[in-house]
Amino acid sequence: MGVTILLSYPVPENKTGPQTAELLIKRIGALGAVQSGQFLVDCETFSSGPTMGGPPRTVHVLHNSEQPAAVFALLESPGPPPKTVPLVADGLFDLLMLKMSSIYASKKQTRMEARGTRFEIADFLVKIGTVTMSSNFKGVLVEVEYRPCFIAGNCWELMREFMQSFLGSVVQNTPPPYFQVHNRLNDVYQPLDTIQQYLDHFASYRKVAGL
Amino acid sequence: MSANSTSIAMEAPVEMQIQEIAFDGQETYAPSLSMSENLTKLAQKIDFAKCGPEEVNKEITEINRNEDEAEQSTAPPIWPWDSVRNKLRNALTEVSVLADLLTIAKGKKYVVLDPVPHDPPELKPMVMVYARKKSFAGAASVLLSGAERLKNSLAEAQKNRTTTADFHIELLRLRQNFRLKKVNNTIIGDLSYFRSSGSKHIHSGTFEVTKSEEEPDKLLSPPCSPNPNSANKLTSALRVTVPGELQGIASIKVYFQKDQDSLYSSNLNTPDTAFSIPEIDWQRKLEVAQNVLFCKEMFNQLAKEAVQLQSPIPHVVVGNQIIASIFPGVQLVICLSHMEMSTDGKASLPPPIPRHDQVLEHTLHQLLRELHEKKNYPLPHPASAPLGPSRKRSCAGPYAMDREEFVEMTESQTMLEQVIQQAQHTQLRDRTLCILDKLATQYKDPLISVHWLWLNSPTYACIKVTIFAQGYDEIYRNLVIIHVYDTYLKCISRDGKVVHLSYESMELKNYILCQICRHQIMAVQYLAKSMGWQCVANSFNLGSGTLIETFGNASSCILVSPVGDRLISIHCDQNSRVQVSVAQTPRKDFFPGQLVKERKWENLGNSFKEVQWEKMIGKNFLSKMELLMTSLTSSWMQ
Repeated sequence: MGVTILLSYPVPENKTGPQTAELLIKRIGALGAVQSGQFLVDCETFSSGPTMGGPPRTVHVLHNSEQPAAVFALLESPGPPPKTVPLVADGLFDLLMLKMSSIYASKKQTRMEARGTRFEIADFLVKIGTVTMSSNFKGVLVEVEYRPCFIAGNCWELMREFMQSFLGSVVQNTPPPYFQVHNRLNDVYQPLDTIQQYLDHFASYRKVAGL
Repeated sequence: MSANSTSIAMEAPVEMQIQEIAFDGQETYAPSLSMSENLTKLAQKIDFAKCGPEEVNKEITEINRNEDEAEQSTAPPIWPWDSVRNKLRNALTEVSVLADLLTIAKGKKYVVLDPVPHDPPELKPMVMVYARKKSFAGAASVLLSGAERLKNSLAEAQKNRTTTADFHIELLRLRQNFRLKKVNNTIIGDLSYFRSSGSKHIHSGTFEVTKSEEEPDKLLSPPCSPNPNSANKLTSALRVTVPGELQGIASIKVYFQKDQDSLYSSNLNTPDTAFSIPEIDWQRKLEVAQNVLFCKEMFNQLAKEAVQLQSPIPHVVVGNQIIASIFPGVQLVICLSHMEMSTDGKASLPPPIPRHDQVLEHTLHQLLRELHEKKNYPLPHPASAPLGPSRKRSCAGPYAMDREEFVEMTESQTMLEQVIQQAQHTQLRDRTLCILDKLATQYKDPLISVHWLWLNSPTYACIKVTIFAQGYDEIYRNLVIIHVYDTYLKCISRDGKVVHLSYESMELKNYILCQICRHQIMAVQYLAKSMGWQCVANSFNLGSGTLIETFGNASSCILVSPVGDRLISIHCDQNSRVQVSVAQTPRKDFFPGQLVKERKWENLGNSFKEVQWEKMIGKNFLSKMELLMTSLTSSWMQ
């Protein structure tokens, strides 16, 4: 599992989302990327009903097609202090959540998906996907993974240069906000970090009203 | 007042002890001792143990005087001390009387001490007798119990030494290692291990356990301690009968063979007569039988794979041998050798195996065990998860394995493939070793040093070959890294070029010779640079020309002196023979002829004269070159 950076590519006014995605695909194709399948990251949210007591807690259940056997779950409890508990589980976890439907109710309308194509260039893995929330387009997400390295601080410069080559000035010179807290730049990168980045972006997309 | 006596007034000194002085100078006096306190203090000073009667008398009279004077001077009475004084006086009187008496009695002149006769006490004989009897009985019982204990332990020790061990105890020990069940008055044991280890080989091996009343001294029971030096003298009450096909000793033999002939000739000193296998205890007998089962299973598995695998030269399974070809011309032979017992108790030896490779045999054992372990299905966590996937697959979820890891998990190699791979690597490594050793001993001018990395695997090794000249290794050193895989070598030279060589050893020899040649010319160039000479032309691949040997390469270069008046041309061929020629730029032998009239054409020079290289002074090529360059460098003064 290499270091993965997730970027939200802003859609220019005169273009639609899919067109932007096409444009990025063309650019990455020009660099010599080879298409190698599709990818899908989806997120379903459950919130705890009144039977639990206390402020309502949310559970986000995410799947990543890159890790087909795993299910990621993040529990956000707002009660003081607010904390997020991550979990990586086998596929049976989905069935468990189904069984707990009386306690944790799923909000079907907030199901978010990032779907698109994945490309391989040398040691990099690029995924360009469109984010939809119950078939409403929300934005374009670009995920870039550098496979050989698993410490973000060691390869941030390299990845920034690579991303700027086909994304342009959208890429900032400082690492994304996810990596700037908790000394994450020097920690070993886990698949869970990718999922948390996806969750952050999905949350920001949810806040944007309608598109 | 009389004229002879003087009255002395005694009074305590007025001075009082100063207790403390305040900061303003005021003194606080300690209260002075009263008369009784003073007397107490003095009385405490008396040491009764030290002084003699006269002194005591003196002291007492002193005290008395003090007391009297105290009485006279002050009013308070000293009654508490009065009784003490009286008692002391009485004690003194008595002790002095006793002392006098004893001294007189010692003299034996006036007083003699005589004992006073006592009445004899009345005797009660019966009481005494009874008392004595009781004490004797107690002592006797203690002694008897001790003797009884000693007798018991002696009897037990004798029993353990000479008689056979108890059948049931032996059975208990047997049950600790093997499964036993009772069927119709006989006890049947189970040698198979497929249930416990995940093996798929269903071959039932059963053995029978019987009591042995006859011939008790032939059977042995396993030693109690794991110390191999302790002689095993215990005989067993247990007899173990192993089925016929599992009797004897079996093992898997692995060796290499070249083209139907034996690769190595064997000179094993095996006796011609068959020998009889000595009697071993039942534990080892059962272990040996289980080993036979294991070897049979391994051979079955290998034979199955050999038949199923597709390979360019098909593997041959003949009788108890599997012949797989590694390289064209070299074969790997795996055979199951089973030393069986014939009916008269003597064993017949199998034909001697040439140069059995124990490493590969160990590999085979390891691989089969690995196979068993993989098939061993773990209980899934949680209990509702499907039963079936291997341990790695069930952990794939929680460890978030990605697609590449999944693909890796599904790829697997059969046992035979893995063994063939390792055998190939072994052969290739041996060949590479031979070639490099031969070259290192053959070539002395640039030295070849070979370093094998210690970090390797059964299918990979890495070698670092350094070519350098003695004394000039700081100037230039040629490095080649050789990665040895199973069927090919990857050589990386100093300039980064990667070459893949096959298993033919001549290719490696050719490559190394080219590198040696290259080293010579490169080293000369670096040496020239450090001496101020310039290289004006070089060529690394001149080919071998008309020489018969086809290995290696020739290379050459031309150097020009710092001033520019001398030229050296060096040609180095594949046998490290060098040809060096020297030229001078203003030609000494220029004569204007018909065509070339002007003097200026003498500067073209370039008629090279060969140097007699064997006569040059110098240890190796580079030192000779250094000498040559030094001698040809002309100074500005000339």
